[in-house]
Amino acid sequence: MGVQHSCNACILVAVFVLSVSIPLAMASDPPDESQQGSVAVRLYLTEGPLPVDDPMSAVWDTVPASTFDMAPQVHWQDRIQEVTVKSVTVRGLHNQQELAILLEYQDPTQDPADAAALEFMVGDKKAHFAHAQEMLQVEGGPVNIWYWKQSNGKAIDMWAKGFGTLRPQAQQDVKAVGMWQDGTWRVVFSRALTTGDSEDVQIEPGKWTSIAFAIWDGKIVDGAIKEKGSQKAVTSWWYFRAEPPPDNSIYGYVVLGLILAAAFEFALIRKLQKGRHS
Amino acid sequence: MNRPLAKAALILIGMYIVLVYVLPLFTAPLPASLIYLYLALTLSAVLIYYTISGTTLEEFMGPIVRFLSGVDQVGPAKTARLLVLIVFPLLVGWQTYTRLAPSDLPPPENRTIHPAPPGEFVGLSNPFPKTPENIMMGKGLYAAYCSPCHGANYDGKGPAAPGFNPPPANFRDPGTIAQLQESYLFWRIKKGGVGLPVEGMPWKSAMPRWEVELPDEFIWKIIMGEYDGAGQSPRTWEEEE
Repeated sequence: MGVQHSCNACILVAVFVLSVSIPLAMASDPPDESQQGSVAVRLYLTEGPLPVDDPMSAVWDTVPASTFDMAPQVHWQDRIQEVTVKSVTVRGLHNQQELAILLEYQDPTQDPADAAALEFMVGDKKAHFAHAQEMLQVEGGPVNIWYWKQSNGKAIDMWAKGFGTLRPQAQQDVKAVGMWQDGTWRVVFSRALTTGDSEDVQIEPGKWTSIAFAIWDGKIVDGAIKEKGSQKAVTSWWYFRAEPPPDNSIYGYVVLGLILAAAFEFALIRKLQKGRHS
Repeated sequence: MNRPLAKAALILIGMYIVLVYVLPLFTAPLPASLIYLYLALTLSAVLIYYTISGTTLEEFMGPIVRFLSGVDQVGPAKTARLLVLIVFPLLVGWQTYTRLAPSDLPPPENRTIHPAPPGEFVGLSNPFPKTPENIMMGKGLYAAYCSPCHGANYDGKGPAAPGFNPPPANFRDPGTIAQLQESYLFWRIKKGGVGLPVEGMPWKSAMPRWEVELPDEFIWKIIMGEYDGAGQSPRTWEEEE
């Protein structure tokens, strides 16, 4: 009798653990960032001022990085077949008021026409990464472009909805500081998370949106700038999100779950024991 | 007495092994949500089977009731019962946490690789004969306009390919142009990424809208060159019947 009870107990425990833990373990398919490479830029939440004026700040070395391959811009005219910058490494921080995004990329020469840009979708409508050009079957939205050029020494906050529509905005909200050292550019873009300007992307912590990058090597080759205008290194859209502040309310729900489960067990066992005695 | 429970446990474990380890030997691994669904269906079937009559119900439920009530339990059975009573609330708490904990992962992409083309592009046939001259011209045009992304070897590994998401199509892969008709390629080349419907996530494709730069004749000949260079044949109506 004792052996049979033990056997029953083992089987019951096995069925119970399997039926509860398998769904838990398989609740969602993990993403494959390890194989595919980076798919997202994450702005990590921090406290206090951000290193917006110092691309070389040691703070940046503590921030996890994402790296994206870059391609020559072959999507529309004028194309380019080969570009200097093959990949860009991106780090991001925010403090719930302001954000800072650091681009880091290899460029052997420092030139006045060296430039870099970030691009975001504005609003809820999807936009094509190529300057929000018109899509034929989908109503698209505009894009917000943050453009930095070394010779300008600052960023320009821009807007576009289709080819030939790119223009600086009336309200300029973006700052950028670039520093070149030993063949590497480090450029920090910064802005308030929200600006109140309808032509800007508004960053809501916790909400996923899209980001794209463009980089120009302004080196002079045969009397002409090597990469300018549409001749640049680009990426298409990748995911982008500012880390939301921690939500401690979930621990309350966990405790509630524990209490409810224990109460259920208590009631069930009392019922079973009463049934056996009666 | 314990046979129904043992059978139920074996069926569940067997089904889990088949779904997770055996099926991927023959086909692509199943998504976790589908495996969960199949296991839930199996569990439901087992429960229905054993509760369909009074006798089987007693055989199946009897050990469970005796185990959980704890009456007259001694030794390992008592320990196991205590373990279950402790673990169950902990698992509920863990599940509550995993469901509510903020995820750091981007949303899943449900991109349709080959969305349906608009009506005017269905069933068109290549108006140019597949002569060596036309194929040669198509390959030349492909080299000039397509190979930077799709590769000189038609394998999607051109010098511009690494930066794009989704990556350029690999025409040597039997899952790409070999599955499609020439009219489909004509649509994709002519309208490009911006011509895709919403399920194709057009905002991410870098495929140019070649109709603004190339005449139809060039596009039809590029299609010829593409199939020939990749060693593939277009899908035809006859094969679908």
